[in-house]
Amino acid sequence: MIKVDKLTKTYTTYERGGTFREALKSLVVRKKKMVEALKEVSFEIGEGELIGFLGPNGAGKSTTLKILTGILYPTSGAVEIMGYVPWKDRKKYVANIGAVFGQKSQLLFDIPPMDSFLLNQSIYNIPEQAFRKTMNEMVEMLDLEKIVRKPTRQLSLGERMKCEFIMAMLHRPKIVFLDEPTIGLDVIAKGKIRDFIHEQNKNGTTFILTTHDLEDVEQLAKRVIVVNHGEIVFDNSMDHLRKHLGDKKSVHVTTRNPLPSLAQPGILIRKQHSNRDVELELDLSKLKLNEFIKEMNEKSIINDMSIESLEIENIIKDLYSQE
Amino acid sequence: MSRNLSLPSPEKQQAYRSTFLQWFKIYIHGMKTAFASRMAYRGDFFMSMFIMMVVELFGPLITLLIYHNGASFPGWERHEVLLLQGVFLLSRGIAFPFFMGMVWNTISRVQEGTYDLLLIKPRSILQMSIVTAFDSEDLGKLIGGILMFAYAMKSVPTPPFTNWVSFLLLFIFSLLSMFAFGLFMSGLGIVWIGNYRIYEIFMSVMDFGLYPRSIFNKLFQTIITWVIPISLLGSFPASALLGKEISGVLGAMLCAIGFLIFGLWFYHRMVRNYTSAGG
Repeated sequence: MIKVDKLTKTYTTYERGGTFREALKSLVVRKKKMVEALKEVSFEIGEGELIGFLGPNGAGKSTTLKILTGILYPTSGAVEIMGYVPWKDRKKYVANIGAVFGQKSQLLFDIPPMDSFLLNQSIYNIPEQAFRKTMNEMVEMLDLEKIVRKPTRQLSLGERMKCEFIMAMLHRPKIVFLDEPTIGLDVIAKGKIRDFIHEQNKNGTTFILTTHDLEDVEQLAKRVIVVNHGEIVFDNSMDHLRKHLGDKKSVHVTTRNPLPSLAQPGILIRKQHSNRDVELELDLSKLKLNEFIKEMNEKSIINDMSIESLEIENIIKDLYSQE
Repeated sequence: MSRNLSLPSPEKQQAYRSTFLQWFKIYIHGMKTAFASRMAYRGDFFMSMFIMMVVELFGPLITLLIYHNGASFPGWERHEVLLLQGVFLLSRGIAFPFFMGMVWNTISRVQEGTYDLLLIKPRSILQMSIVTAFDSEDLGKLIGGILMFAYAMKSVPTPPFTNWVSFLLLFIFSLLSMFAFGLFMSGLGIVWIGNYRIYEIFMSVMDFGLYPRSIFNKLFQTIITWVIPISLLGSFPASALLGKEISGVLGAMLCAIGFLIFGLWFYHRMVRNYTSAGG
């Protein structure tokens, strides 16, 4: 469905210092700097997938997204989505996609979301019956019955974001690009939006989700692409991502007696709360879990213990810090 | 065998009609939405519209002062100059609410990064820039233009039908030139981010259209006829309505067509260079 081959984007920017003297100097001479936002990025996405597209700030995620949505022209490389080249067949192509930008609203601020939906109906030329059916369905799914006729400026961030989803999906797009869709939302609103995405994905819509909220990724994505410094540093399933740093577990243990010496291969102390309470990272390739539990219990008697997969945050941190 | 140069096939004609109707439908919808948005602050809306109308009438007021003090524009009676300015204001009064809003819309959206939202719609970016930019308070300009035009027409002998036809043709060219101005300003707004001075510079240039072309020196007359079609904004259509002799009108019309084609090319070229804002 989406084929990206050796996508490259470079652009020129101008460097300027922070002092008044440098500001004055920049009026006459500006130092040019070439930025390689994307370096031969390649990947493929199949129909109905839900991809988490991650990367630190300035890694090239938004540039990729903007090229895939037909907003920007690449410097080189090829992109084919549903048979279209986004920047060449923009009008025909974008009729089949939707986009939600968490920090840019498609709704008109002073009038109710309903009026914005109607404007979109005209723009996308959606037949009246189909428009009503889709809108009613989505309004019901997102609990917006009492909201869509209130002026947008009176809505909470969560309510507005739900309306943004309707705005982006009224024309039943085959692919939806989400850029930070849950930014700033409370847990309930986040949960509702995640359920909505999940539901739509089950109905066959492909989602590409860009976010810094790893909970979104853990709960929604089956596959993750991580970009850093304009290159793909990881492209695999969520399960593979969890095992990226090896077969490791996160362990929190409290004991009756003081803890034994933990300076041994396979154990990394993350946080020592007291001599009876510690958080560890266990490398199971070096130390078997049952042996660790047995030793701890024999030497210090375990009071309480939690064993979890390594937090995705740590894995992502590791991927982001790779040069 | 010679190529058949007949009209497009009925299917194609139907497609063109349907595209045009669609365009019109979206535009009307955009207009209604803009009105609804503006009506959220009714007091401000009516006040702004009134101010727009009054400000528009300052130019003709200066003309009245000039003639009142015994000075004049050579070859032009007071009521003729007022008619010219009425035509100019009418042209601006149509252009500003209905399509010139694209300039501010483009400049501000590019600066905020929300121009992206227009690019993800399945319509031409130019159409989206116009549809989302209907400026209802600029209707004050239109009212001012209509009032000025009607007032000036009262002092002019009723023009014959042929003068009206010539006037209408040239008035359409005046609107096309305004549109071309809008394209250049919008195009520059895409690459020259946040530079609101573009608008002021073009507005100042356009203001030369408030005065009869004949008052300028030959070189300047050539520039405002053959390079930037400012003469078409007021001077030529008013002259046609008054039955005055006009030289270089065909050249100005050709220049306007060239200006428009170049404007369209320039605008789309600048869209290609759009860099968007950081994500």
